[in-house]
Amino acid sequence: MSVSKVVTGNYAAAYGALLSRIQFAAAYPITPQTFIVEHLSEFVHDGLLDADYVRVESEHSAMSAVVAAEATGVRSFTATSSQGLALMHEVLFLPSALRLPIVMPVVNRTVAAPIGIWCEYNDTMPQRDSGWIQAYVEDNQEVLDMVIQAYKIAENKDVLLPVMLSMDAFILSHTVEPVEFPDQEAVDAFLPSYKAEHAHLWPEDPMIIGSFTPPEYIQEVRYQTDQAMKAAREVIKRVTKDFASAFGRNYGGLVEEYRTDDAEVVLVTLGTVTSTARDVVDEMRDEGKKVGMVKLRYFRPYPFEEIRKVAEGVSAIGFYDRSISYGSGGPSYIEGRHALYGLEIPVMNFLAGLGGRDVRVPDIKLMFEKLLEAAREGKAKKDIVWIGTRGVEP
Amino acid sequence: MYEVRFHGRGGQGAVMAAQALASAAFKEGYYAVAFPYFGAERRGAPVLAFTRMDKQKIRRKNQVYNPSFVVILDDRLIDLVNVSEGLNPSGAAVVNTRKSPEEIDLGMEIKVGVVDATSVALEVLGVPITNSAILGAFAKTTGVVSIEAVEEGIRDIFGGRIGKEAGEKNAKAARVAYDRTVVGTSRGEKKMVSKKQWLPTVQELPLGLATRSMETDAGLVGPGSFVENKTGSWRTFKPVFNRDKCVMCLLCWFYCPEGAIKRVDGGKTLEFDFDYCKGCGICAEECPTKAIEMVRD
Ligand code: SF4
Ligand code: SF4
Repeated sequence: MSVSKVVTGNYAAAYGALLSRIQFAAAYPITPQTFIVEHLSEFVHDGLLDADYVRVESEHSAMSAVVAAEATGVRSFTATSSQGLALMHEVLFLPSALRLPIVMPVVNRTVAAPIGIWCEYNDTMPQRDSGWIQAYVEDNQEVLDMVIQAYKIAENKDVLLPVMLSMDAFILSHTVEPVEFPDQEAVDAFLPSYKAEHAHLWPEDPMIIGSFTPPEYIQEVRYQTDQAMKAAREVIKRVTKDFASAFGRNYGGLVEEYRTDDAEVVLVTLGTVTSTARDVVDEMRDEGKKVGMVKLRYFRPYPFEEIRKVAEGVSAIGFYDRSISYGSGGPSYIEGRHALYGLEIPVMNFLAGLGGRDVRVPDIKLMFEKLLEAAREGKAKKDIVWIGTRGVEP
Repeated sequence: MYEVRFHGRGGQGAVMAAQALASAAFKEGYYAVAFPYFGAERRGAPVLAFTRMDKQKIRRKNQVYNPSFVVILDDRLIDLVNVSEGLNPSGAAVVNTRKSPEEIDLGMEIKVGVVDATSVALEVLGVPITNSAILGAFAKTTGVVSIEAVEEGIRDIFGGRIGKEAGEKNAKAARVAYDRTVVGTSRGEKKMVSKKQWLPTVQELPLGLATRSMETDAGLVGPGSFVENKTGSWRTFKPVFNRDKCVMCLLCWFYCPEGAIKRVDGGKTLEFDFDYCKGCGICAEECPTKAIEMVRD
């Protein structure tokens, strides 16, 4: 029988790893992630989890260790945040090309300078080209559920890519919420043990992994990885469905639409802002305003078709971003515009919550009001709008 | 939906209290969420934590601006922070204090429950950590959760974090505080002022936030601005210095995180600056000759 407990996002992440029966974890602390690896060490110490738990001396080493472990064919896990992810950067490209299905929660935290510990996506977004599947979540239940789903997706033979699970600093990592913990047997049935076939380090079946490679081969490797990322789209949809039938929680697939049916304008959100925006959508719907929301669950692979389909039915669309690509707008907006090429509706970008600033109900309302205005006028006054920035007209 | 704001000091466990309340509410059929104020925490500094409780799933993930209840773990915070900011007048306040409800001035007349949680904690736990006791007072004052649920919530959160036995003791502290809580109405005479914050516009903000010392309407910012932050108000214990035992090794002077220990009399002895000494006790811990003792302030 599943049980419900009031736990932090960090606990949910660690427990997801426990239920996934990870066999190897590399641990290096960084606020606000530290509790994930601390909880894991307790699980291992208490005999709840049978895994090799290795303390390393940096995030660079943490990623190197999980790459090596996963290459021997064992299910591997680590977690990090912000500067830690930045330090991992050069190693991130290994598992995606070597096709090692590692799962790693990243607690989204601003990257210095200025130095801070609060939520911003300028840690994960710059890693979007490293070949990792990248998902964003809105509550602690989704954190736990997604660790399990992430392994299922990552280990699929058509995919074999690592997964980065982005979760908001403090808003999830340090917040307790009720979370339903599925049964171990149910998780075992959903996620059987991992059997590495294409790559392993077994003395009886020797292989070379990650050797020095001239131009004669690398381009094909890149193509393979690109194919895998594309194939992940269908796999993600399938796994989401299978998870829903096994555990009763349906997350929708690559995106989840919320009250988009007859919507006039739609806001594409990611992370915890999604959760608050649900309340805003309901409130505005009660006022007779036809607003809807699309929760972007996966940023890689990007759901081009889904976003385009929604946009084709509305008069204006906006993309919420919690980080910026200087001079170009937020990454979600940039990708969204790419998806909507040639579509003649206003496409807007809303930047809010950078550096961990609270994204309040009125802030989200303002985004919808701006979209409604653009829909009426057929044109946005400003494409890229900074919300709640002192001295800047939104 | 009920929203609760906890006012405490770093190290007093306001976050654990907020979590235990969420766990208690969950046991009573609420959906409940608890989170810290997303600020830098330092031992002794004023901190905030929040709990939200509702009969349905709580989706909003933004911070709390209009709490139904405030819980004040240390009554000296009332002079330091605007504890009633945004407080719903039909709500209530819960205060750890030796005073009666009528002696508490929150700048608004509002239902207030008082208890000397520090004494309860010293009696039951042997340490002045009031985060469990105050929850007993919360149950008594608001009636939103039962004392039994509070005990369960404490067993869950405290027990999980610091051990089963400690969980039991803290549940007991809540029960004792529950029995001793007196509920009345606060006075509303004081003018509560929120601390001004320096909030420059993009145009005013120094490039890259490289900040020179400057006077703003929120006080001094930049180098040297720490002098305005009188950490002495954070103190629960204060160091008492025994000059006869001191060998002037200066370990205390070196370790004091506030620079509150001064060499005086031509370097022959020490003096403590109680405007800044926050009572952390590091000096007493480090002193090899036990020349410093911490006593309740
Ligand atoms: S208790 Fe001692 S170490 Fe701590 S601030 Fe006061 S003087 Fe400094
Ligand atoms: S640590 Fe103790 S002995 Fe050394 S200077 Fe301070 S009070 Fe004196």
